[in-house]
Amino acid sequence: MLKKYKPFLRAGAIDTMAYRFNILIWAAITVCEVACMVFLWLAVYRSSEGGIDAEIHGFTYREMIAYVVLTTIFNFVTYNNDTLWNINTDIKKGTVGNYLIKPISYRGKFAATSLGNLLTMTLMFGVPLYAAALVTLGVLGFLPGLSFPAFFANLGLFLLSGLCASLLNDTISYIFGILCFYTSSGWGLNSLKVTLISFLSGTLLPIAFFPKGLREVVSRMPFAGMSQNPVLILMMKYDLKESLRCVALSVAWIVVLELFAKLLFSHAVRKVTVHGG
Amino acid sequence: MIEVNDLTKVFKKPIRGNGLSGMVKTLFSRKYDEIRAVDGISFTVPDGEIVGYIGANGAGKSTTIKMMCGILTPTSGTVFIDGVEPYRKRRQVAQRIGVVFGQKTQLWWDIPLVESFKVLKEIYQISDADYRERMDFLGEVLDITRFLSQPVRTLSLGERMRADLAASMLHNPRILFLDEPTIGMDVLVKEKIRLAIRALNKTYGTTVVLTTHDMTDIENLCSRIILLEKGSILYDGPQKSLKTRFGNIKTLTLTVPAEIHAETAPMLSPEVAVSEADGRLVLRFDADKVALEQAIQYAFRDLHAMDMKIAEISIGDVVKTILEQQEAEHAEKV
Repeated sequence: MLKKYKPFLRAGAIDTMAYRFNILIWAAITVCEVACMVFLWLAVYRSSEGGIDAEIHGFTYREMIAYVVLTTIFNFVTYNNDTLWNINTDIKKGTVGNYLIKPISYRGKFAATSLGNLLTMTLMFGVPLYAAALVTLGVLGFLPGLSFPAFFANLGLFLLSGLCASLLNDTISYIFGILCFYTSSGWGLNSLKVTLISFLSGTLLPIAFFPKGLREVVSRMPFAGMSQNPVLILMMKYDLKESLRCVALSVAWIVVLELFAKLLFSHAVRKVTVHGG
Repeated sequence: MIEVNDLTKVFKKPIRGNGLSGMVKTLFSRKYDEIRAVDGISFTVPDGEIVGYIGANGAGKSTTIKMMCGILTPTSGTVFIDGVEPYRKRRQVAQRIGVVFGQKTQLWWDIPLVESFKVLKEIYQISDADYRERMDFLGEVLDITRFLSQPVRTLSLGERMRADLAASMLHNPRILFLDEPTIGMDVLVKEKIRLAIRALNKTYGTTVVLTTHDMTDIENLCSRIILLEKGSILYDGPQKSLKTRFGNIKTLTLTVPAEIHAETAPMLSPEVAVSEADGRLVLRFDADKVALEQAIQYAFRDLHAMDMKIAEISIGDVVKTILEQQEAEHAEKV
């Protein structure tokens, strides 16, 4: 059954190559952004009560810088699919019908494309970027949590949580995409999705910094598994038990969200109006 | 086998006001116009039949096709494709049907045509042997082998349409829905497409539902015609009976001397309508009521015809007459 989706996996893997130029521009912008974040955090730590060497919510300034760098790499490698936009285009151009008359699931098609994407990105950019970042940060002493050889076993957990993160992102993107069936426009939904994820996933600010009540809620939501948790697993800030708990939470959310997506799609597809012709 | 029972599709269209104030109002009020695109139609298509599904623009042809292939869900009524409802078991039905929408391509725009076919091979899980056999068959009847390696966007409209047809036939569907497959094609391509449809029907016994505005397609391909108007079926039956719906109508087009005019010409019988078109005289009559021989004699003897063309009424004329009658009736009601 899964063989049907191989062409989409392949297309996803190849498409990524087509955007090399975009990726270069992205890299330039991102270096500036990371630099801003680093200086911002340095300022925060310097002005804190304990001075530069203080530990705030479990992070020293060195760890915070490592976190910012690794989160940026992680998001870049993991999130580059356009599921929401592709659904939006399918609806606007009426090409959604092309998939509805084929013996494949609409969801499966996007999941396969997105996995193909992840594969290429991880091999092409992930491996060198992570290696460079980990070696540099490690040598500078910014990764005190790392210990060998446990690191290599931990790497497996990190890859697994990365896969979960990518699937979570794609499912959420798909759900927002399906909502375009009702709104007929993807702009608002896309901004909502981006804002929601960048805030709740801990990309802007680790969830440990949130007020207690909010923290309790957010750490049980799927978003933490999309950025913060995989990076903290990589940095070995979590012990094995905590790492496993994070992965289990992500898997549970994937199941729940996929089921929801399925229900939503079967409702939305009844709304389809392909006009003209 | 296709079974359609009391099928209805109602589209809701928000009523939009004019101008800026109207737009603002639309934001808050949700008033809808209901459009009954398909209104309680029923028919059955047995295996191996080629059905012409015709009607004016907006009659509901495409909407019906979209419900039959599972893109749209009916407002009420049912469709069964070999006993399965397409909008409920979409994927199961998709494996058994092929669809071409003449106005939209289903091929991947940027990749070579043959790659599109390979993707379809995997999606439909076609075995290597079947794939080769079908490619040989389609390559021949649709003449697509020449441009297999070209990206789809570089194909001409005729080439693209043939490629789309091939793509829809690749998995040997039991039923083929063709929504205007000859739209915008030149006569040669049209002929190729017709030959291919006939060859497919003959070789594999494929059922074909065809919508078109080209009556030559219908006359060449379809033994049965379903005529749709404003969402309802006006006629469903053999092509032959539709042709003789208004009798065995024949027209004689005569070249006559300049002094002979329709108004002043001697009459043969009230059954023969005489009119003038392009400086020629046109006699129109039911050959079952007035013998053709008699009409010809009359043309030569009384009208001094110098040349003559005898024609049967075409399907196009019949359809046109029916639709005009409908429109006139509708206008009277309003």
